[in-house]
Amino acid sequence: MESLHPRVRLLWVLSTVIQASVLGVIAYLVDRFAVSLPQTVIIAGWVVLVLLGVAHAIAAHRIWRFDLQDDALFLLRGVVTRTDTSVPYVRVQHVDTTRGPVERAIGLASVVVYTAGTRGADITIPGLRPERATELRERLRDLANESEATDAV
Amino acid sequence: MSRLHPRSAVVRIARAALQGGFFGFFGGSLGSGMFDFPWFAVPGLAALGAVVFSGYALARYLRFQYELDGDTLTVESGVFARQSRQIPLGRVQNLDVEQNILNRLLGLAIVRFETAGGSATEATLDAVDEAEVERLRNYVRTHDRDEAAGTAAATSDAVAGTESGRSAHADLPGATGPSSGHAGDAQADTDRGASHTDSGRGPDGSLLFAFDQRELLTYALVSVRPAAPVLTLASLPLGMDVVWAVLRFNAGLVGASLNGPVVRWLLGSPETSRLAVFAALSIAQFLLLALVVSMALTVIEYHGFRLTQADGDLRYERGLLRRYSGNIPLEKVQSVTIRENVLMRRFGYATLAVETAGYSGGNQQSTQGVAVPLAPREEVYELARDIEPFGDLDFDRSPKRARRRYLARFSLAAAGLTGVAYAVDSLVLETGYWWLAALLFLPVAPAAHLRWRHRGYDLSESVLATRSGFWRRTTRIVPYYRLQTVFVTRSPFQRRRDLATVGADTASSTSLLGGVARVFDIDEDTATELRNTLRERLRVDIAARRSGERSVETVERVGETDERAGETDEPAGGANERTDEPDEWSGEA
Repeated sequence: MESLHPRVRLLWVLSTVIQASVLGVIAYLVDRFAVSLPQTVIIAGWVVLVLLGVAHAIAAHRIWRFDLQDDALFLLRGVVTRTDTSVPYVRVQHVDTTRGPVERAIGLASVVVYTAGTRGADITIPGLRPERATELRERLRDLANESEATDAV
Repeated sequence: MSRLHPRSAVVRIARAALQGGFFGFFGGSLGSGMFDFPWFAVPGLAALGAVVFSGYALARYLRFQYELDGDTLTVESGVFARQSRQIPLGRVQNLDVEQNILNRLLGLAIVRFETAGGSATEATLDAVDEAEVERLRNYVRTHDRDEAAGTAAATSDAVAGTESGRSAHADLPGATGPSSGHAGDAQADTDRGASHTDSGRGPDGSLLFAFDQRELLTYALVSVRPAAPVLTLASLPLGMDVVWAVLRFNAGLVGASLNGPVVRWLLGSPETSRLAVFAALSIAQFLLLALVVSMALTVIEYHGFRLTQADGDLRYERGLLRRYSGNIPLEKVQSVTIRENVLMRRFGYATLAVETAGYSGGNQQSTQGVAVPLAPREEVYELARDIEPFGDLDFDRSPKRARRRYLARFSLAAAGLTGVAYAVDSLVLETGYWWLAALLFLPVAPAAHLRWRHRGYDLSESVLATRSGFWRRTTRIVPYYRLQTVFVTRSPFQRRRDLATVGADTASSTSLLGGVARVFDIDEDTATELRNTLRERLRVDIAARRSGERSVETVERVGETDERAGETDEPAGGANERTDEPDEWSGEA
C-alpha cells in the first residue's frame, strides 16, 4: 500500500484556506452592505475553519492509501466515512494526470481514473510527485490494456 | 444518404414561418411605437421574419441527412456549424420511437438512437415515416446477428441446448432459441420487407406482456406517484374559483363561513374541532384529487402497453396521446430491478425495470427503463430470469446489531423532532401540546425492524442480488460480469458496530437515481470478503465470456443459462469457490 506524498497536506490546507477566505470575503461584504456581523465572529469562523481543515488534512493523509493489486486498483480513504474502492483494471476507460494551479505551485500532480460506471465514474488519486503520476498513469494504461475485456457497455 | 420525411419538413417550415412572422410582427410593432417606422414596417417585417425563419428551417432540413451503411449510422447536420457524426451500430444501446399527436396524424415518428457516452441523445431523426422506422429498427436489430452469422453454426447447438434446459415456458423467449440458429435468413427477410410492421405478431417476435384495461387501472391505482400531490398543488391556482367554491362548501358543512377575512377566521376561531374537521375534509379532498391526477397520468403514459421479444431484443410500446416504443437489445442490459411497493406486495404484484447504459423508455424520469409496469410477482421473476438468468434468491439479512443501529437512528430522529416541537411550542405557539410529538417514538421500533427485515443480499451463481426498502422494496440483480467498481463504506456509526456497506456499481444510466446495488450494514469482515468475491467473480466471468462465448453472447443471450451451468461443472478453481461460498456467507450471518 502506497500513501500520498506528505506535501499533499499542504495542498489540502491551502485549498481550505482559500475556501475559508472566500467565505470570509463574502461575510465581510454581507457585513458591509447588508446585515452587520461582529468582526470577531468572522475572524473566529475563519480560524475555526482553517483549524478544522488542518486536522482533516492530517487525518486524511494518514488514512489515504492506494495499491495496484493483481486485478484492481484499490483505494482507501475518507476521514469521517471510510471508503475503500476497487477499480478493476478491466473497467478502466481512460486515465488522466491533472495539475491544478495550487498543485503546480507546490509541485504535485493527480491521477484521475475513469470508468463507465455511474457512482465513482472518475476516481482521483491526489498528492503524487509529477514523475510518479506519469508513471502511475502509464502503468494503469498498460494494466487496462493487458486485461482487455469484452464490451463494458 | 437519405433525408427526413418531406411531411416533417412541411411541418417544421410552417412552424418556423409562424415563429418568424410573430417575431417580425412584434419587432415591427415595437419599432413603429418607438422609432416611428413607416406603416408597412409591421407587415413587411412579419413577412421577412417568416421568410428568413422558414428558409433556415428548409436549409436545416436539406442539410440533415442520414445513412445506415454497413455497421455505421452516419448523420450529417447543421447549416452554419456543420456536423458529421458516425455511430457504430454495435454501440447503440436503445432505439426509442416517439409519436406525438400531430405526428400520429401525419404517420410520422421521431427516432432516437442512444449510446452509452454523452448526456444527450446521440442521434435524433425528427421525423421519418412508419415504414422507415421499421426499416431502421430491423436494421439495427439484425446488424449484430448478421455480424455473427459466421459463428452462428458453431453456437447453434449451444442455443438448442438451452431449449431443453428451459422447460418452464415455451411461449416465452426460450421459444426464440431455435429461430436464431438460422437467424441470418430469417432476418434478411424482415430486412427487405420494410412493411413488416408489427414484429410482435411476426414470426420472430413473441408477446411477453400486455395490459388490458382493468390491469392498467389496477396499476394506476397501486403505483402512486409521489410527484402527483406536488403537481396538483401547483396547478390549483389555475382553477381558483372551483377551489374557493369547494372550500366554501366545506366551511358550510362544518357550520362556518368563509366570507370575510379568512385568515382571521382561521386563526381567531375558538372552535378548534370545527377547524380540524374543515382541515381534514379539505386535505382528504386534495389527496383524492391528487390520486385521480396520478392515475390519469399513469393511464396516459401506459395505455396500450405491450412488451414483446424479437430475438435478442425487448420491444415495448405504450402511451395514450404520445406513443412511445423502443428496442432494448438484451445483450446491452446492465442490471435488472424488481420493485414492489407496499400495495403491490399485498396483492402479489411487482414492477420490472431493465437498465442499459443508454436512456430508455422515452421519457427520462419516472419510467426510465421500465420493462413491465405491473404483473404478478412470479411472472415478473420469470421474465427477469429470461433476461438475466439467476436461480432462486435466498436473501441473507444483516446481523441483528444492524437493527439496533436503525433503532438508535430513528430514535434520534424522533428525539430531534420532539425537541424542535418543544422549542417551537414554548417559544411561539404556547399550546402546551408539544408532547404530542413524542408519539413519534411509537413507530420507531417497528420501523427499525421493517427496515432491517427488508434488507438483504444474495450471492448467487452468476448474479449479485440486493434488496432494500419497506415502502418500495427494490431488488436489484447485477450480473457479476457487469460490475464496474466495488466500494465499501463505513460511517462512524457503522464503525462503532463493526458494520459496513458494500456498493456494486454498473454502467446503467438509472444509477443516477440512486440505483447502485448496495448491500447495507453487513459485518465488517463479511464486507471485505464480499468485496473480494465480487472482484474475483468479475474476473472469472469476464475470462469465461472471453474464451469462446463471445459468439453466443451476440447471437442469443438466452444461451447463458447453459454456459453458466456448464461452468460450474468444470474443475476450475473459480467455479469451485462459487458453489462453496454462499454457505459460508449464510453461516456467518
